Amino acid sequence: MSDNLHHGPLYRDTPLILSVSGVNKAFDGFKAIDDLNFYLEEGELRTVIGPNGAGKSTFMDIITGCTRPDSGSVTLHANDGHDVNLVKLKEFEINRLGIGRKFQTPSVYKSHTVYDNLVLSLNRARGVLKTFFYKETAEDRECIMEVLKTIRLESRVHDLAGMLSHGQKQWLEIGMLLAQGPRILLIDEPAAGMSDEETERTGELLLGLEKKHSLIVIEHDMEFIRQIARKVTVLHQGHVLKEGTFDRVQSDPAVVEVYLGRQGKKDTNK
Amino acid sequence: MLTAENKKEIGIFGLVACLLMLIPGLNAWGPDGGLFAVSSFQVSLWGKYLTYAILAMSLNLLWGYTGLLCLCQSLFFALGGYAMGMYLMLMIGDRGAYQSDLPDFMVFLGYQELPFHWVPFNNFWFAAGAVLWVPGLVALIFGFLAFRSRIKGVYFSILTQALTYAVCLLFFRNDFTFGGNNGFTDFKDILGYSLNDSGTTRGLYIASALLLLTTYLITSGLLASKLGKVQQAIRDSENRVLFSGYSTTSFKLVIFILSAMIAGAAGALYVPQVGGINPSLMEAAKSLEVVVWVAVGGRGTKWGPVIGAILVNMFKSYTTQAFPDYWLIIMGSMFVLVVLFMPDGIVGVYKQVKNKIAQKRSLQIKEA
Amino acid sequence: MRSIFKHVVGYSFCIFSLLGMLAAEERSARLVMSELIMASGDEQTALIEEIENYGDPVIAEIYQAWRTGGVYTLKSNTDLQLLEFTAQQEWVSVASGDLVSLSEGDVANVKKERAKRSVRKLMKGIIDTLGLKAKDASVRIDSAIKMGRSQKPEFVPALEARLILETSSEVKEAVEEALAISLLKNGNADQKLTAVKDLAAMKSIAARGFIDEVLLDEQEASRETEPLAEASANALLVIEEHLKIMEFLGSFFRGFSTGSVLLIVSFGLAITFGLMGIINMAHGEFVAIGGYTTYMVQTLFIDTWGLSSEAFGWYFVISLPLSFLAAAGIGLLLEKTVIRFLYRRPLESLLCTWGISMVMQQGFRLIFGAANVQVNNPTWLMGNLSLGGFSMSYTRLFIMFIALLVVILTWLLLRKTNLGLHIRAVMQNRGMASSLGIPVARVNSMTFALGCGLAGLGGSVLSQIGNVGPLMGQQYIVDSFMVVVIGSVGNLLGAGISAMGIGLVDQLLQPSLGPVMGKITVFFVIILFLQWRPGGLFPTRSRSLED
Repeated sequence: MSDNLHHGPLYRDTPLILSVSGVNKAFDGFKAIDDLNFYLEEGELRTVIGPNGAGKSTFMDIITGCTRPDSGSVTLHANDGHDVNLVKLKEFEINRLGIGRKFQTPSVYKSHTVYDNLVLSLNRARGVLKTFFYKETAEDRECIMEVLKTIRLESRVHDLAGMLSHGQKQWLEIGMLLAQGPRILLIDEPAAGMSDEETERTGELLLGLEKKHSLIVIEHDMEFIRQIARKVTVLHQGHVLKEGTFDRVQSDPAVVEVYLGRQGKKDTNK
Repeated sequence: MLTAENKKEIGIFGLVACLLMLIPGLNAWGPDGGLFAVSSFQVSLWGKYLTYAILAMSLNLLWGYTGLLCLCQSLFFALGGYAMGMYLMLMIGDRGAYQSDLPDFMVFLGYQELPFHWVPFNNFWFAAGAVLWVPGLVALIFGFLAFRSRIKGVYFSILTQALTYAVCLLFFRNDFTFGGNNGFTDFKDILGYSLNDSGTTRGLYIASALLLLTTYLITSGLLASKLGKVQQAIRDSENRVLFSGYSTTSFKLVIFILSAMIAGAAGALYVPQVGGINPSLMEAAKSLEVVVWVAVGGRGTKWGPVIGAILVNMFKSYTTQAFPDYWLIIMGSMFVLVVLFMPDGIVGVYKQVKNKIAQKRSLQIKEA
Repeated sequence: MRSIFKHVVGYSFCIFSLLGMLAAEERSARLVMSELIMASGDEQTALIEEIENYGDPVIAEIYQAWRTGGVYTLKSNTDLQLLEFTAQQEWVSVASGDLVSLSEGDVANVKKERAKRSVRKLMKGIIDTLGLKAKDASVRIDSAIKMGRSQKPEFVPALEARLILETSSEVKEAVEEALAISLLKNGNADQKLTAVKDLAAMKSIAARGFIDEVLLDEQEASRETEPLAEASANALLVIEEHLKIMEFLGSFFRGFSTGSVLLIVSFGLAITFGLMGIINMAHGEFVAIGGYTTYMVQTLFIDTWGLSSEAFGWYFVISLPLSFLAAAGIGLLLEKTVIRFLYRRPLESLLCTWGISMVMQQGFRLIFGAANVQVNNPTWLMGNLSLGGFSMSYTRLFIMFIALLVVILTWLLLRKTNLGLHIRAVMQNRGMASSLGIPVARVNSMTFALGCGLAGLGGSVLSQIGNVGPLMGQQYIVDSFMVVVIGSVGNLLGAGISAMGIGLVDQLLQPSLGPVMGKITVFFVIILFLQWRPGGLFPTRSRSLED
């Protein structure tokens, strides 16, 4: 089984942007993350799959600072060649370094307009006093309009976010992430609860972000994964079970045993 | 550039300001009898209502706009009141019942000299400062601990209630140097003006009205800025704000402190108009009463808390006299009904009715 | 003399039921007394000797009347009657204790009987030591302790005599202690030394002040180095030590019982708050419902059977389930009318239930009055259980028992019954439970009623140690919320542990800080605890961040 494990990056020709190495995390004795090693390249779109309880959400929590790992390191490789250790930082500090996270359930500011949702997500004036004296610039407005175009919500710009449909809220949230100008996007089950058509548009949206940003997408929906998958990481019991292309992973007997064999369960998860 | 909305707001603000000034104006220059006669008693009664309204606005800042249901607002109000009360106690001088330079309760408890922390309160401006920084400091310490450990929602409410309870117990103690359960009373004058003077009554009323208008301006200023937007965003989805690079802890803390200071200032104006203060003012139930005012008026609206505070208190004054045995039952049931059927309070009902009428009109126009 | 008389009257109350038994065994004490009053010379001496074996408090009563001129003889044509004119202005036959009605002519003819000086002298000793011979062991213990503490030399022989006769080990210990204390003053040097050593061995807390006196006397006489002084100093050390342990144990015991009260009250809260997301600010008023139900049951029992009847003791047993049912019933009503609109809206539920609590409080005032009402303890809950010199009140022990019962029953209900399964299902996923055919609305009603019922049960228990009044629930409500927060919302085990923890910390801090500062310190300890564990003792890990 150890042959299948990759304790280092697969391809070394593009620079790494995020390294997670040797991370462990236990909750009351239960090992949620067990010696996890994960490497993400600049501009890569990575899909993370795994059965229930594989530690996918905890994995995201650790990268974004929600949960402190018991041991191991999480390193962001910054543009200027500096490495930043994320383990000791707070959520908002990690976010300011350029890591955006989308939650499983759409979380937008429902009593603000779509436009204000995006204004609040721009990566400027985030201190208490600075926000008080913040004035919108033409550049800010341009940036917002561009994001609106990407997520195709131009027509709803002055509507309250609470009035949007479920799928539109999901897109708005992705748009809010984009407005932050992040280097890495962590996206948790973007297609959950969407119609087929919406799912496909979401897939196109994500594929359009590839190369400009690095993405980690957690997903259950196999059709959706087939649409967007480049490289797939399979988590099992808090550990990387297998990494590779969708087809290779899908045909791997170990993966079939732990995950695809239980694919029927996916429906009850929603 | 002013939008129509802005113009309307300024208009309402001006109208309210004029209405507020009407009361002392009528008191000073109005007729002695008839419909337009306003006695000094009524001036100080309305002054009291205004300080309640400010208190409600300070809670609205937290609960209405930031989603933090704070149950220690009456504590901040009382702390401000006590700070001002200390000054007023010292201004009595040797005119008290024991004709000593010490406040009466200290003579009664056998104090030989003024406790050191009382000494600076001989100065009005020190007291005025303490009115703000004492509640602010309490809010800073408690808020820091609470927000740091991510205490929110009902947990925050419960802990603030417990804080009020704990401090209230302290103030009930005689050896806490704040007069025990009798508190402070028998004030004589403020800044050299006698509190019995109708001019002083008007002055205090005007000060309350000005504080109310200032609080309104602060609230509007906040809401118009991005800070206000972040505030409301925290109410809707705190995690989203946190994961957009804002330190929600700092934002909540700043709003909490600001709200505590406003409540303290309101308390400081309340005490000389009512003529005394005792620890029952900071009982947990009082904080919940403030919540009632805001809920009845309409939380998260600019004028709702003011309307709620004044109407509920007028209603309370009336029912406590007319049906002393039943007023708690009336208040309680009214509150249940408001929460169940009027989640946005009076202002919400007004808006609903307005929308309905507008809909009907547009339908009629279409039919025509 | 007056004070002893008072005690004797007090005892007579306790022994009331034993009178019948006594009379059956021997010649009634009344009969002997009446003979004594009528007899003369040698006869009297013999009768006094006979009286010495009696422990009936009626002896003191009759003697007191005799001594102060309240016993009369009435000669009629046929016989001679001995009568007592009581404080209630009634005539009572001395021999039988029965009421006698006299005509006005009879009253004019009665002749006062006076006790002779020699009799008075003999009787005094008997009356003073009467308690030692009482049937009831606790009366004997009390009497021995009082005799010891008085340190009167005339009691030494009586105590010594009793020591030989006494069969109960408990009473024997008390008599020994009393005798030793008495000897501290009345004994010779050797006796004093032995007494001090004995008392040290007994760790007698009662003897502390008396040994202190001995030590002072010795020091005044500059005999600090004599064995008696040293033994006294040593004994004092031993007793102090023992006292500290006892005080600590006492705090511990009180802590557990305070914790038990908190537990009963907060378990209901944990169910409504934790399991249903309803912040029930009216929970304290449901506690009051329990208290008032107990009060009403008690009143009913007093009206029907009387306060001192055998049946009265049962009122509390009946009122426990009734309180539960009453509170649960009103809770059910409330759920159907108001609460069901508030699920998953905790803040609104807080405000709404606060309004309800105001209404209920005022309702109590209108029905029962603003003042507290009196709830009596049933006799079987009076008194203390003594364990190695450490006494625990039955009431508090009973509260602990009820708390344990509540924990076990709630656990069984949630884990072993269908309703419990449904409750847990609804708690975890309302929508899913509903689509699986669980009657969610009914489960909600039952859960809320259960929570309120537990509050009522708590109120019934509280009526035994505190006041029953419109505000009785208020004083526990803040603490109970703390318990739920600390124990992690929705976790009953956590609530149980934190109730005990808060109770213990509260009671352990109180001796040094006083009740108010103790409470405030507890509050700050809680705030600091939440810094360390924001989710409470047993935080539930939720998958979605938004909860």
